[in-house]
Amino acid sequence: MDEIRKEIENIEKSAEKLKSLAADNNAIKKNAEILLTFIYILKFITPAAE
Amino acid sequence: MAEFWNAYTETLPREKLQNIEFSYFKNLFSFAKSNSALCKDKFKGIDAGDIKTFEDIKKVPFTYKEELRKWQENVEPFPYGGLLGVDIEKVSTFRQTSGTTGRPVYVPETYESWQWRIESWCHILYMAGFRPKHRVFLPFGYNVYVAFWEAHYAAEKVGCEVIPGGALSTEGRVNKIIELKANAMCGTPTYLLNIAQEATSMGIDPKSLGIERALGAGEPLPEATRKRIEATYGCKMFDHIGSTETCGFACTCEAQQGLHIVEPFFLVELLDRETLSKEVAEGELGVIVITPLGRRSFPVIRFNTNDVAVKGPSTCECGRTSLKLMEIVGRVDDITKIRGVLFSPKTVEQLIRAEFPEIVEYELVVTREDIMDKVTLRMEADAKLGKDEVAEIAKRLAERHKIKTNLSCKVTIEPPGTLPRYDLKAKRFKDMRGKH
Repeated sequence: MDEIRKEIENIEKSAEKLKSLAADNNAIKKNAEILLTFIYILKFITPAAE
Repeated sequence: MAEFWNAYTETLPREKLQNIEFSYFKNLFSFAKSNSALCKDKFKGIDAGDIKTFEDIKKVPFTYKEELRKWQENVEPFPYGGLLGVDIEKVSTFRQTSGTTGRPVYVPETYESWQWRIESWCHILYMAGFRPKHRVFLPFGYNVYVAFWEAHYAAEKVGCEVIPGGALSTEGRVNKIIELKANAMCGTPTYLLNIAQEATSMGIDPKSLGIERALGAGEPLPEATRKRIEATYGCKMFDHIGSTETCGFACTCEAQQGLHIVEPFFLVELLDRETLSKEVAEGELGVIVITPLGRRSFPVIRFNTNDVAVKGPSTCECGRTSLKLMEIVGRVDDITKIRGVLFSPKTVEQLIRAEFPEIVEYELVVTREDIMDKVTLRMEADAKLGKDEVAEIAKRLAERHKIKTNLSCKVTIEPPGTLPRYDLKAKRFKDMRGKH
């Protein structure tokens, strides 16, 4: 699960970067935001149990 | 061992699940206090830091439906008022409660909160055996109510094919199921029986429809009703519980021994009915208090559902470790005293579904004449039966009702098609005492 969590964080960083790179492009920005929504869900369903 | 939607969270040891839920609760509490006017006001004396142990959660006051209504009346931003947890421009979908107990509550969903609900519902559908091989027919009027929008989107996410069955008559729905060879369905138990009755009146055996799986919602599903639906369609029938405010939060698995709470999406407490302060023991009746732990558009902390359930174990032959509700008994409001006898309408539902397959619809009315409570059971029998047969059923029903409930009642025979039919929540119990 640790590896999965790490990968989710990597995707989150990429999605955040994509969103800022596309600040003036509605379509790309919105799709990056949707990626971040699913990152929120992915984090929620992979909680650290300790 | 069953297949799981999320093999990681669904099999975590209880202690770990509890730790996660504690951490999620604190996060949500902190978020809600900063972002929802209701929570800011309601919890002004408590900080997230004050919640140091799992037991401390019990110090946080309940949220009641009446408060939700109050915080929406003449409170900006319209129409969600003080319940909104995010900027109103983030709201993507409007939902509302059915208004069964008063003014409807308007519920804001953002893209995020909706996807969170759907993810939770994927657990429900997967637990009920819905798979990509299923073509799911959803016979409901797609509108402002949440039922069964979640089922629609979650079925898509699970990989099923969805047939939206809105804006059709019951006959039209039977025809569409046949035309498209649907093999799974969701609906209120009442409406699933209505569809079967309609099919029969069209000369079609409901078993020939080919429905393999059905998932119920909106009403309690007594064992007898479940078995009747299973026998009628030749399918496996599953139950789930939820509401617009709380989301769908528990479902039966293949073992059919109680409803698994979808953890860690929800913190569900089952509290003693007298003081609402202690968690009940396994096998005891408790009031369901629920916190959806990841929904930020409409943060609801310790929502007192007013529903009563029997607490089950957290072990199951399916391998899931989530806490179970063994039986949903009904609304606190529906469990009432009649002539000094504690009465639950579900007992009558169970009796009729188990012993009187000839009764197609019924209604239970309690009135007060002078100081005496009167119970009237209005029944509608299969139109094919003769007058004498129906009279015999009515006589037997009165006897069995007395034995099952300790209450005598007057049974009236109503002409076929006269009692109300319900697509969503059935309202067969009418307590008219104090209303005249």
